[in-house]
Amino acid sequence: MMNKSRFKKLIFYVILILGSVAMLLPFLWMLSTSLKTSDATMIFPPEWIPKEITLDNYKEVTTAMPMGRFFLNSIFVALTSTFFQVFICAMAGYAFARIDFKGREVLFYIYLGTLMVPSQVTLTPLFIIMNLFKWTNTYQALILPGMFSAFGTFLMRQFFKGIPKSLEEAAFMDGAGYITIFFKIIIHLAKPVFATLWIFGFMASWNNFLWPLIITSDTTHMTLPLGLAALQGRWTTDWNVLMAGTMISIFPILFVYIFTQKYIIKGMTHTGLK
Amino acid sequence: MVGNKGIKKYLTIAFFLLPSLVGMLIFVIIPIIASFVLSFSKWDLIGDIKWVGFSNYIKVFNDPTIREAFKHTLVFIAGYLPLVLSISLGLALVMNKKLKGIVVFRALYFIPVISSWVAVSMIWKWLLNPEYGLINYLLSLIGILGPGWLQDPKWAMAGVIMTSIWKDIGFIMVIYLAGLQEIPDHYYEAASIDGVNRWQKFWYITWPLLSPTTFFVITISLINSFQVFDQVWIMTAGGPAGATSVLVEQIYRNAFSYYKMGYASAISWVLFALIFTVTVIQNKFQKKWVNYDE
Amino acid sequence: MKSIFMNGQSNKKSDVKQRTRYPKLFIGILILAMLLGMLSGCAQKAVETNEPTPDASSSTAPEATDTTTTKEPVEIKYMTFSAAPDHLEDLDAMIAEFEKQNPDIKVTYETYSFADYFTKLQTVVASKTAPDTFELNYENFVTYASKKALYNMDDLMKADADFDSSIFNSTALNAFKYDSKQYGLVESFSNVVFFYNKDLFDKANLDYPNDSWTWKDELAAAQKLTDADAGIFGTYAPIQFWEFYKTIEQNGGKIFNDDKTEVVIDSKENIETLQWMIDKIEKYHVSPSDAQMSGQSDGDLFKAGKIAMLRTGIWMFDSFKDADFTWDIALEPGNTQKAHHFFANGVAISKDTKNAEAAWKWAKFLTSSKEAAKIRVDSSWELPALTDESLLTSYLEKTPPESRAVVFKALDTLVVPPVIGNWNELTDLVGKELDQAKLGQKTPEQALKDAKTAIEGILE
Repeated sequence: MMNKSRFKKLIFYVILILGSVAMLLPFLWMLSTSLKTSDATMIFPPEWIPKEITLDNYKEVTTAMPMGRFFLNSIFVALTSTFFQVFICAMAGYAFARIDFKGREVLFYIYLGTLMVPSQVTLTPLFIIMNLFKWTNTYQALILPGMFSAFGTFLMRQFFKGIPKSLEEAAFMDGAGYITIFFKIIIHLAKPVFATLWIFGFMASWNNFLWPLIITSDTTHMTLPLGLAALQGRWTTDWNVLMAGTMISIFPILFVYIFTQKYIIKGMTHTGLK
Repeated sequence: MVGNKGIKKYLTIAFFLLPSLVGMLIFVIIPIIASFVLSFSKWDLIGDIKWVGFSNYIKVFNDPTIREAFKHTLVFIAGYLPLVLSISLGLALVMNKKLKGIVVFRALYFIPVISSWVAVSMIWKWLLNPEYGLINYLLSLIGILGPGWLQDPKWAMAGVIMTSIWKDIGFIMVIYLAGLQEIPDHYYEAASIDGVNRWQKFWYITWPLLSPTTFFVITISLINSFQVFDQVWIMTAGGPAGATSVLVEQIYRNAFSYYKMGYASAISWVLFALIFTVTVIQNKFQKKWVNYDE
Repeated sequence: MKSIFMNGQSNKKSDVKQRTRYPKLFIGILILAMLLGMLSGCAQKAVETNEPTPDASSSTAPEATDTTTTKEPVEIKYMTFSAAPDHLEDLDAMIAEFEKQNPDIKVTYETYSFADYFTKLQTVVASKTAPDTFELNYENFVTYASKKALYNMDDLMKADADFDSSIFNSTALNAFKYDSKQYGLVESFSNVVFFYNKDLFDKANLDYPNDSWTWKDELAAAQKLTDADAGIFGTYAPIQFWEFYKTIEQNGGKIFNDDKTEVVIDSKENIETLQWMIDKIEKYHVSPSDAQMSGQSDGDLFKAGKIAMLRTGIWMFDSFKDADFTWDIALEPGNTQKAHHFFANGVAISKDTKNAEAAWKWAKFLTSSKEAAKIRVDSSWELPALTDESLLTSYLEKTPPESRAVVFKALDTLVVPPVIGNWNELTDLVGKELDQAKLGQKTPEQALKDAKTAIEGILE
């Protein structure tokens, strides 16, 4: 019995490790390219471990453009919009999941429907709205649209629907209202899903390209993806420099992800609550 | 008294919904309505708007390029959706185990999700390289002559689908993982005492209790895969010979390359109608299999 | 219910911990966010001081004497795609020089990559917030001029006594006319020439390409240079729309008739040309197929010594200069006549500008001043389209390649892209047909017939 389970564990690990290698490939490739001289990027088939390792590309990325500034902007925009997004979506999602009211289904379909119109055709109208507010090239224009997410609302609704109602009924009997229940009970149960939406929201904001491209017009407000895009020339691109920039840009997300994963696992130990 | 209660209820609803509603209205819904209005116009974005009635819509249905793009979008969905959903569910079940070092694996499997499409596309172009690529090398080991992948119109979409699955499983896995946290441990404990085997546990506990998450994942993935764009744009730009041209790629070209915002909007709304219909049907069926505690 | 409370009881400790921890986490994030906001406020200043300002000593002097009558300088915005990523410092230098000469004008700029530039430009033009001046490549110039987004420069030119249009290459300047009105000034150009690997020619005992070469000479040399075992191919030119519209001119063909009312893409000459382009790969095996190129660019392969003759842009000089073989350039071989690419960028003024005169001064300075031209030439930021050859000496002296003068000789037979209003759509449609011919899905004749029908569908 013991041996069998150990053998199974071994199989699990072997599969997981093989998968991880496949998952890691692009990351390793980015890392390796970012350490290459530009001549070495042309060698085919590519060398995984460059003969000549250089950190010049990282220096070039940070000197060619105010990347530090772009980096701070990205962090600021992602943190603020995601922070509000999680709360706004949680509240709306709770209403959709638990409170009965007229027009709830229709309203929910409208929310879902907003996900079905490609953003390519709504960008220009949104830009014109921001222009009416005189908000072009401002932080609020970068942050506000990211705070409202039909995807996040849907995610929260599904999660809250899965929570046993019996938990709330006890509180109702004690005379608590929806608001009290939401803040006293629901929020504490929602840790895993909060963490999940947090990472998704952060990622979406972090990688968002088209909207910052359109709405910002000076280096004071530009975000990291714009800086990375500017590294691509019309005729040629220095892949080693671009990948150095990309490496810098993915570390914050990796960090945020590992940070939030902790909360997803924590949630597991508390499932006894239900 | 009843009125009072009604007011209180509406205040509660307003408290929960208003912040979201106001923002959604200004930043999401109004621009969407604007795009609907624009779909009845001819607008090159630079000059004035001309109103053209339904002619954009008539054109959408008679445009062979759009018809091709529609077909390719369906092929993408058919190849991508079932595989990405099942693989990521399986992965989430594994990742949910209390094994040593699982956190590390969770992070590793998420790396494709956070990698930029530019980098992903570079590496996959290399992996799918007909002569030197790893994939055709592996195929040759089992005696199969690999196809030209991204350079072959017949196989290019398969290459795009493989890359997409590989990039997205981590994303869906994370949603499944969050859903799995909701299932109370004592259900499994009770089942173990009753001597229930692994498959039965999955079918009678995990699957039904995970169904709200599954429903979410299917709905979102379906909506997203109808709008597949980034990977196509970066990996093949719709080629070779238009073999991977998809709907949103056509929308993007019309909006930002051909200066045809009106036509791009009309294609978008046809796409909207399509996705919406599928979602409504799916929503009707959910009652049969999605298990809410109500 | 009871069980819930029981469980709750047992978890009480962690529960309390959780409750206090949560707000802390979010307050922490909020504080961090606010801190960053403040931090970025400070950084803002830092960045602004980094922005190009005229040489400190020269700019403070006039200000100091002028303090009583300080005039608010006019601010001109400029948007560019050609500066990033390699020429930002050069643009800064040009602006510094311009502001020194025009202390009452301040220039700020925005830069985007070519791939994103027009998405951005189109949106700001749509919302009537376009910058005063912006860069346009020739193809998009025609689009924007035809959609009436540009400022007619004719009056500005007449009013400016210092301006002499003869300092421009006249073909290049005229390209930025629309309806015989000047809507832009030509800023710079780039073109495509015939690169060859001298070492490979020497090894095969062949004469180097010269200006009288035709396709036949190219093919004969390519067949001798191709060495399948070593993976060396004789010659290469991509099969895509840009290459196509130039190559057909080398055989006397065209896409449109002269007044662009009729599509003649399926002419006998053009079918012959496309067949020739494909035959180099499929019949004579002197050019690599896409599969044989295995994802490497033609430039990479040339630099690796795997392609002996290559038609590519002069923007590759820099990347080829440290190749481990000697190479040079020549005019492209033609069939019945010569034809060379011409990629021009121009500077246009927005029709919505409030400072047309200042915008004009900047556009004029950027495109035709000696100072700007010198910075441009010295940093190999394309080439100014000016007639004053003394400006180009530093460019011509540089090697490799030895025969740099070819770059200018090619201008005698330049081909302007056959632009129409729906240019981008045209390039996509024809590109797809050429793809199908290349893949063998259609004969060249069929592909060009279908291309003709497709183009006719989008002619306005």
